[in-house]
Amino acid sequence: MAILKALKLFAATPYTSSPLIIESDSRVALSWLNSIGKTTATTRVSGLKLVSFMNQGRSSLSFNLRPMLALLRISCAAKPETVDKVCAIVRKQLALPNDKPVTGDSKFAELGAASLDTVEIVMGLEEEFGITVEEDNAQSIATVQDAADLIEKVCSEKSA
Amino acid sequence: MNIRCFQRNFSAALPPLVPLQLPSPMETHLWYILPDEVKSVALLNQYSELLSPCERENVNRICGDQLKKRALLARALVRTTIARYQMNCEINPRSLKFRKNIYGKPEVEWQNEDNFSPLPLHFNISHTTSMIACGVTVNVPIGIDVEEKQRRIKNNITAFAQRYFSPYEVKLLTAISDPEVQCQEFIKLWTLKEAYVKALGKGFSAVPFKTFTIQFRAPAIRNLHPPGISVSEASEEIVESSNDPTNLTNNWQLALLEVAGSHYAAICMERDKTVGGEANMPMKLTVRKTIPFVEDVCISGTDAVLALGGIIEQ
Repeated sequence: MAILKALKLFAATPYTSSPLIIESDSRVALSWLNSIGKTTATTRVSGLKLVSFMNQGRSSLSFNLRPMLALLRISCAAKPETVDKVCAIVRKQLALPNDKPVTGDSKFAELGAASLDTVEIVMGLEEEFGITVEEDNAQSIATVQDAADLIEKVCSEKSA
Repeated sequence: MNIRCFQRNFSAALPPLVPLQLPSPMETHLWYILPDEVKSVALLNQYSELLSPCERENVNRICGDQLKKRALLARALVRTTIARYQMNCEINPRSLKFRKNIYGKPEVEWQNEDNFSPLPLHFNISHTTSMIACGVTVNVPIGIDVEEKQRRIKNNITAFAQRYFSPYEVKLLTAISDPEVQCQEFIKLWTLKEAYVKALGKGFSAVPFKTFTIQFRAPAIRNLHPPGISVSEASEEIVESSNDPTNLTNNWQLALLEVAGSHYAAICMERDKTVGGEANMPMKLTVRKTIPFVEDVCISGTDAVLALGGIIEQ
């Protein structure tokens, strides 16, 4: 089963209709979503499937969703240890002070990384995890989470 | 006369930007700002006023004063730079809108207003810790990249080059014995390749670094191969013939500079095919250091700009 990427949930408040947008590349999640409501699925080249559907204003839908999606949220991101290792390598490469927060959501550009930094970070990650990343993937990662997910993907493909 | 031209919405405390002529075809205007030179909080606040609400939110989300400042200056630089090129009426830097092309490259979204014809301006920005630069051309796409000269590469340069550069480039780099020189040559090559990919505007996956070679060509006696910097398909180690339809050289013009003694700047612009003349006309270049609304200094032709590669006319 493909690893679920970070689940971003814009929770619908009861009695309002607002879009519920979920990003994941898990077929399980998608088929589940398809079964509970109207869905329109659009796929993006990068393999990230974006599913959005409108809550037609019924509050029950959002209430039912919340506990399920909270469960999914826990299991979906790359392992925390992976994210932590990535953060440490990023910190070192960009020489960030200890008080500067680096998390999964941190964007490399916002941390002050130029393209050369991003590639150096990826090379550092390859060394740390014993993997090789495709060149065009390396230059396109934008956040720490992207890097962690890519690492886990490559690691799982390697051991498959 | 269009009344809209005279509306000024921005802070009355800011002096107007000195209006400028558009670059001519085959000309690049390079503007740069040194973040360390901008210290006034009042000025930074005024720059903040120029940003769109969305941009301001993005800037405010960034943790760390230095990074925040750099992000702010980058947006302020782009907006003020483009706003300088006024044709018939004043452009308010705050009113400029931007969008990304389908590959994610930022571009100006000119508004459809009466009596206002969109300017055929192209721009590209690049930032490092100590410099933010914006290149502007007319009619043709541009890509720029700046890097600190003294930047240390953490990984082994040969390994790095073997991963990302073409065989020809790797050979060239590994032949350099002095590690310091090797590092600098690596950075120069990196900025040139980066500028080329950014000029193409299709993202890194469309043109991985390994698939093309950048070569410096010294002036040849017989003039068979004109001097300059060329781009060719990675598999070709010899300078390609101009009859080759996949030949990249004739389409793109590259230049490499050392700026302010501290940075390498690479510029890549598409040749304007509507301009007649020889295939290797020099790239006209004007380099200006700026603190928007405070001072603009033209440094072309001074020691602060050193042409390292490409055919450049300052």
